[in-house]
Amino acid sequence: MSTTTTRGVASPAPAKVSKDRPRRGLKANSTFNFWLFTGPFLIGLVIFVFVPIGWSLYLSFFEARFTVTPSEFIGLDNYKQILSDTDFRNSLVTFTVFAAFIVPTTWALSLGLALLVNRLRFMRAFFRSVFFLPTAVSYAAAALIWKMSIFNGVRFGMANTFLGWFGIENIAWLGNPDPPWYWLVIVTVRLWLQSGFYMILFLAALQNIPRELYEAAAIDGAKPGWQTFRHITLPQLRATSTAVILLLLIAAYQAFDEFFILLGKATWGMPPLVELYKMALGENQNYGAGSAGALILTALICLVTLFQGKIMGFGRGDESQ
Amino acid sequence: MSASSNSNWDRRTVLRAAMGLAAAGGLAACGSNTGRGSGGSGDGLVQYFHAYGEAGVEQAVKRYAKAYKETSVTTQWITGNNFEQKLFAALLTKNAPDVFEFHPQIQLIKSGQVADLTDIIEPVKSDFNQADIKSHTVDGKIYGVRMIDDPQFFFYRPSLFEKAKVEVPTTLEELIEAAAKLKTGKVKGAYLGNDLTPVQHSLIWSAGADTLTADNKPAFNTDAVADGLKQLRGLFTSGDLLLDAPADWWDPSAFTQGLTAIQWCGMWAMPAMQEALGDDIGVFPFPKVGSAGKESVYNGGWSMFVNAKGKNVEAAKEYVKWLWIDQKEYQEDFATSYGFHIPPRTSLAESASKLKSGLPAEGVKLFNEFGHFDNIGWTQAMIAAFNDVMANSVRKDGDPKAQLAACEKKVSTELQKLFG
Amino acid sequence: MTTTAPEVRKQVPARATRRGGVIGNTGLYIATGVAAVLFLIPFYLIVRNAFMTDPEITGEEWKWFPTDIQWSNVKEPFDDVTVDFARSMWNSLVVAILHTSGILLICSLAGYGLARIPYKHANKIFYAVLATLMVPTAVTFVPSFVLVSSLGWIDTYRGLIIPGLFSGFTCFLFRQYFLGFPKELEEAARVDGLSYWGAYWRVVVPNSLNFFAAIATITFIAGWNAFLWPLVIGQDPSAWTVQVALSSYATNQTVNYHLIFMATAISILPLLFVFLFLQRWLVQGIAQTGIKG
Repeated sequence: MSTTTTRGVASPAPAKVSKDRPRRGLKANSTFNFWLFTGPFLIGLVIFVFVPIGWSLYLSFFEARFTVTPSEFIGLDNYKQILSDTDFRNSLVTFTVFAAFIVPTTWALSLGLALLVNRLRFMRAFFRSVFFLPTAVSYAAAALIWKMSIFNGVRFGMANTFLGWFGIENIAWLGNPDPPWYWLVIVTVRLWLQSGFYMILFLAALQNIPRELYEAAAIDGAKPGWQTFRHITLPQLRATSTAVILLLLIAAYQAFDEFFILLGKATWGMPPLVELYKMALGENQNYGAGSAGALILTALICLVTLFQGKIMGFGRGDESQ
Repeated sequence: MSASSNSNWDRRTVLRAAMGLAAAGGLAACGSNTGRGSGGSGDGLVQYFHAYGEAGVEQAVKRYAKAYKETSVTTQWITGNNFEQKLFAALLTKNAPDVFEFHPQIQLIKSGQVADLTDIIEPVKSDFNQADIKSHTVDGKIYGVRMIDDPQFFFYRPSLFEKAKVEVPTTLEELIEAAAKLKTGKVKGAYLGNDLTPVQHSLIWSAGADTLTADNKPAFNTDAVADGLKQLRGLFTSGDLLLDAPADWWDPSAFTQGLTAIQWCGMWAMPAMQEALGDDIGVFPFPKVGSAGKESVYNGGWSMFVNAKGKNVEAAKEYVKWLWIDQKEYQEDFATSYGFHIPPRTSLAESASKLKSGLPAEGVKLFNEFGHFDNIGWTQAMIAAFNDVMANSVRKDGDPKAQLAACEKKVSTELQKLFG
Repeated sequence: MTTTAPEVRKQVPARATRRGGVIGNTGLYIATGVAAVLFLIPFYLIVRNAFMTDPEITGEEWKWFPTDIQWSNVKEPFDDVTVDFARSMWNSLVVAILHTSGILLICSLAGYGLARIPYKHANKIFYAVLATLMVPTAVTFVPSFVLVSSLGWIDTYRGLIIPGLFSGFTCFLFRQYFLGFPKELEEAARVDGLSYWGAYWRVVVPNSLNFFAAIATITFIAGWNAFLWPLVIGQDPSAWTVQVALSSYATNQTVNYHLIFMATAISILPLLFVFLFLQRWLVQGIAQTGIKG
């Protein structure tokens, strides 16, 4: 009976389901079950993720302009070209600066919001919803609101209207890189979109901190506020913080939408992905060099992640299996 | 099969049913198309157009396609500001369009992406604006049919000029002075697009230089161009320039909403401007840069190309011939019924009544007198390289000479790849 | 927000009740209130612009509220002849729902397999999955597109949905969650004679509904908000999702402010409903994930 009911769900391998019952408990059984559970996912992952990655790798060794089925093998020339490209190198610097700023800021803001909301007695769900709602908005839509209504350079932009009340001239937030107001635009849009989600993660973690810890601390004479926060809350949030920082780092590395929409034809403030997009899909259509750059970027992300993992101990639990 | 019938049962059944349903729904949905007809692949043709902003253009293009009896033609109306990228990506696949509009650029020909159209254009070659024929010709073969010419120049409000006692500028210095005088608390002096790249070609021409020489060498790295960039930098930092307008230069909004007294725009926007501002509109070319310069206008436009790797190259050529060579009525409708464009066919340009008087006639005059057409050897990659010059030495405080030299290097590399 | 009242009572943290002096509380509420106002400004702007006329939006004087609320603006996106807005909403709904159900099914199974079924190469496979998180989408973008197009999936729901189902991130979250799932429950089930498969569906899933709801919410949002992939896959307007339709308004050569903002408002609305209903499970579900190090 169980086979008939599972069939609807197990459609990828319905015939094999019955086979596993008699051999339950054997090693072969667990191997078979492992593939039964992970098979559909892994097959899809290979087709839709690994094949394209392999294809990119292949392209990166070929002269692939205006084609993705190239024939001229050029060895490492694409890598040389992309590494000597100042735009690409600058974009790596840009990213580093951006990540060094946005990751701690988002971390602090979402943790701050979580602490605030966690202490509320009334209207808690209301405030939580308010901070979480921006998660519902897409980068494309948010960039639009920022560009057209908040930070446009003309008199009916909200920011300029506000400054106008104090007699300050209209500012070209995005057009003029000096002073670099564009960072304000980009950072605010990202903070607005992201903080709510990470706040929820922290909120969940805060609720998991055993109350006894605080009681014990109070008995030991720890003052509420900074001391408790520093010695109990923060260490208890370590795991969540690590995960949040990892997610933020990856998100920062992959920054694309808002930069692409907001900065247009600027030569500054471009993260690597935008440069690569311009290289491959833009005017150059150089898929070989674009792929080479993308793989260099991937390698960098892996390095940074591993480094971060070493520092903060992420992935330690994985060995326990 | 220990039927563990407990209270879990209901929840479990419901969950399974729901998941099974979702899976079934997924399969069903996957089996069907999203409901559109047979267009796309199959025996019909697919054409790509970028989204024209004027009302009615899309309907018009579809109407023409429907009137074609030989084969069915599906129109893909590509909205968004990344038409090139969508087009280029699609050209790599078997869903590539058979027919598409773009600008004449030699890499399309060198990479074998577009088909030779000499045989369909040859019979009527003499009726085309010869500059348009030239800009589509490589080694004696013609690769695209020009549909419309779109001259781009400055629009201004004569009433505001009068109030500020400003004359129509003929040199870049005068333009900069005019912008300063025209600027008031609510209205900026001039608008050259949010990133100033729309005027980059005119700047080169007005300084007496060119994008490329006749034998395809870079020709833009001159002292006059560098001086022009320096002057533009001054204008950029003066505060007289409109920046970060929500609508970019191709949209007349900034001008019609009274955000600026002068705007760089194209002839297509004339009907919308006239509707908003009546007769209070004048036009002038990009002024002279330096003493040796000459005023200039950029004659942009769009052309039809046939995908050489398509399944139906012959049928596609037939269709292009039918619509853009034979159907003069549609060509005139396309050029003058929505936004204003100049038909590249001399016979049509002469007979198009809407372009004969008033503001459009002045636009046509600028087109003929000061216009520079596309150079087929000046490709998207080179345009992008010069975009960087505008960004680095006008919007940023980079040294124009160094920027031009860097650009020249990039352009030379491209030329090397294209011409060997 | 009256519906949330019972929940508030339940979740009052001990600290707040004990230490929340009147002054501390006032400060707390002022800080939270200011932050909330800042977070709400963009929403306010969407609604303000959506119900104004264009001359009011672009006028010389800033107006906080529309002089006359333009209710007719609500209809406008649906009356637009160039973009079939209703169809794009429908497409987004179909895509987001199928995307969510597909991911929940495929990634939860894989996450469970990786977390709980002993297999000698499981760790290596897990690291391979984890590695895909580091690969930026741009790396695989063009090859994926060519692949999907050679399968003939352009302009189809298949093309929009299937390539996105194999999310290494979601699989990772499920694995972390199942690592923390109480082993005793499963072992009891196994003693009862259930296979891995049976134990999974009868014991593990029914006891993990909170977590499934949390992942469903996140996935639904991502599916609804996806932009770049639908942009290239949906070539024919009949296959556009709402994000693509929105971008087409924004890049039309003539900017129509109230239309853009009204369309944006309508596009956000379904998610707001999803949120208000699923939020509570989201918090609880995440609290159970043990996103842990």
